[in-house]
Amino acid sequence: MDWSLIIENSIKGFIGINAVYFAIAAIGLNVQFGFTGLLNFGQAGFMACGAYGLGMTAHYFGISMWWGIPIGIAFSVVLGFLMGIPTLRLRADYLAIVTIASAEIIRLVVRSVKFKTYFGGSDGINGFSDSFRNIGDDIGIVQANQYGFWPLRFTGREIWTLVVGWVVVAVVAYFVYLLMKSPWGRVLKAIREDEDAVRSLGKSVFSYKMQSLILGGAIGTMSGMIFALDRGSVQPDNYSRDVTFYILTALVLGGVAKVSGSIVGPMIFWGIFTFMDNFLRQVAKDPVHLGNFTIMKSTQVGQLNYMLIGLTLILLMVYRPQGVFGNRKEMAFDGH
Amino acid sequence: MAVQDGSGTGFLGRVEFQVKSSAKKSPFVRLLVLLSAIFAVLGFAFSPARAEGDGYAIRVQVKQQQRDAAGKTDNQPIAGVTVFVTDADGVEIGRLETDAEGIAIFDLPAKADYTVTIDESTLPAGQKLDAAASNSQTLLGDSFVMKTKVVNFFTGGSQSVSQSLFEKIAQRLVDGVRLGLILAMCSVGLSLIFGTTGLTNFAHGEMVTFGGLAAFVLNISGLSFLGFLSFIPGIRPDGTFHILWAAPIGIIAGGGFGWALNYAIFGRLRKRGIGLVTQMVLTVGLSILLRNFFLSRFEGRTRPYAEFTLQRAMEFGPISITARDLIVSILSLLILISVAMALRFTRLGKATRAVSDNPDLASATGIDSEKVIRLVWILGGALAAAGGIFRGLDEQVSFDMGGRLLFLLFASITLGGLGSAFGALMGGFVVGIMVEVASLVVPTELKATPALLVLILVLLLRPQGILGRAQRVG
Repeated sequence: MDWSLIIENSIKGFIGINAVYFAIAAIGLNVQFGFTGLLNFGQAGFMACGAYGLGMTAHYFGISMWWGIPIGIAFSVVLGFLMGIPTLRLRADYLAIVTIASAEIIRLVVRSVKFKTYFGGSDGINGFSDSFRNIGDDIGIVQANQYGFWPLRFTGREIWTLVVGWVVVAVVAYFVYLLMKSPWGRVLKAIREDEDAVRSLGKSVFSYKMQSLILGGAIGTMSGMIFALDRGSVQPDNYSRDVTFYILTALVLGGVAKVSGSIVGPMIFWGIFTFMDNFLRQVAKDPVHLGNFTIMKSTQVGQLNYMLIGLTLILLMVYRPQGVFGNRKEMAFDGH
Repeated sequence: MAVQDGSGTGFLGRVEFQVKSSAKKSPFVRLLVLLSAIFAVLGFAFSPARAEGDGYAIRVQVKQQQRDAAGKTDNQPIAGVTVFVTDADGVEIGRLETDAEGIAIFDLPAKADYTVTIDESTLPAGQKLDAAASNSQTLLGDSFVMKTKVVNFFTGGSQSVSQSLFEKIAQRLVDGVRLGLILAMCSVGLSLIFGTTGLTNFAHGEMVTFGGLAAFVLNISGLSFLGFLSFIPGIRPDGTFHILWAAPIGIIAGGGFGWALNYAIFGRLRKRGIGLVTQMVLTVGLSILLRNFFLSRFEGRTRPYAEFTLQRAMEFGPISITARDLIVSILSLLILISVAMALRFTRLGKATRAVSDNPDLASATGIDSEKVIRLVWILGGALAAAGGIFRGLDEQVSFDMGGRLLFLLFASITLGGLGSAFGALMGGFVVGIMVEVASLVVPTELKATPALLVLILVLLLRPQGILGRAQRVG
């Protein structure tokens, strides 16, 4: 059992790029789910908008990658309208159904052979992030260099994305925090608690919900961009339904309707996940048996971890639906 | 505590105070015990070495041959093409559609001579096999140097179409009806659960998979401790069951699974007055948990049941259908008709529809809502399992066979009207036919897209669905 490796990897999981892009996506999801009570189960679709926004600008439009940022955001706004217009006047479930379906269709379309010229098919789009990488080199964080000491060792490449990523997290979080303190944010919370009351005050509930859906989606789009920049590639299967569910788990873990919760949650989520993954992989180097029954093989570690995520979400919903640091009163809404 | 608002949870107020004490005492110990019991049984069941044949397989690759400007070959995979393998006697071993990589893998019962045939009518419009190539290739048993033999089909970019439009539509209609029957079966439970409890169950796809896999466990893996039953025809000494046994037992197990979910989780949550949104997120967790459990025990491959895989398609004019598919379709139709009859004419069925319509009113007339909800979970679980098994016979079983149907199920129940059982039947039918017929125009890999279009159109134009009751919903 190599504990130093396990500890190092767990700390990397705790503050690493996975926690970053989950945190940004979770902040967006929190605007929709935590603050407004909208069940967006298609956050992965918004993330795909961002990632493919970047990828397509370079790959298909053939212009500078940086144009991909506004293009990706524009995609997500369009997607937000497409999801919102049919559903936001209806019960909360309809939005959940349409978002989960749209995200899945987006994934199918971008991985299809038919649209391979635009989206690169199941191989995705690669090698568009050089202009981003070069900035890191220019300001002195050399990609290939190793920085730090145990247990915090990163390559320059990782540090550069992490710095940018956490800055984006901080900016977005502060922005959302201020928004939720503002009158606009209070209307969102009021909608979550009692739509009819808000309507009786002469506010357009539909319009506020739409703004919330699009804002949360646009934030999710940024998450997709950070992820794409880190990988230097866009792959359709990184935006599957399960990604949304894991982000939701991370969000609930941190605490619903709290901006800090949507940052802490993903960190805890990835810290524990990476720890379990590394730990179990070492345990399961040889298959673990109980009598004749194989409990765990090394190939099953991943699935066991995901099962634990599912179980965590179930137990959280039963015992602390507001999340570890959340306020119970904020999760008492009923979806009507 | 959530506010009761009469949209599915109204009866809770009544039950709440009398169970508060007992719910506090053993909060979720029983849930954990029950879940682990289910997993223990399933885990045990999956663990024995499976009968795998000898591991011989054929890997069929369908590609579009292209040359770029520089004259280099640039082959594009073609998805959704039907290929089938027949043995030396002309009996069909398996029939598959190529995946997004243009690949279909057939597990073979033994090392022998086989013929691989490609159904040219399922090639995308404008695609045609290379003029020099035949639509079938024969492999000799002796040519298996490795366990997997690769067979390639190439198309050129030619323009002709081999089958008339009418024939294509007829065949698609038949396929659509088959898919529609399965969707209808799976979505009745989803819709009724929604109607009676207000819960949108995102784990319903996993209930479908559960049925397919439960039958697979009995049929292929076998429960060795049941080997002593081998005096009964259809049960073998190693504890494997003929599919004619495995299917009904799997359906019963599915009903039990539905009951267990309600008993262990959702019944308790209702008693504690936990909000619907919380329950819905919980079903998401349940779906992650179950799907990965299935994956870890079952692995990522798709596999067939032991029986009825060798089928020769029968031709009726332009339509070809195997006897198995025909019988499965008739069976599902019978099941659906009997469910519809039961809902329409029996006391319990009427009570179910009453609770689904208006829980408060039903409660006030003396209907025991909890009993009805329990029944709905059992029925829903059993129907989902049946759908899973039939789908498994048709398309083989895999760990996420149900998860992939979930979105079509949602489209079906929304189209039919959330909460209406008859609506779900109709919606499933329409969505099934539409998806298959649409694949004439859209690429096969995207044939689910029209379902999303319908979903959005229905929500825009008639949010209560075809058979739903108009009400103010927002």
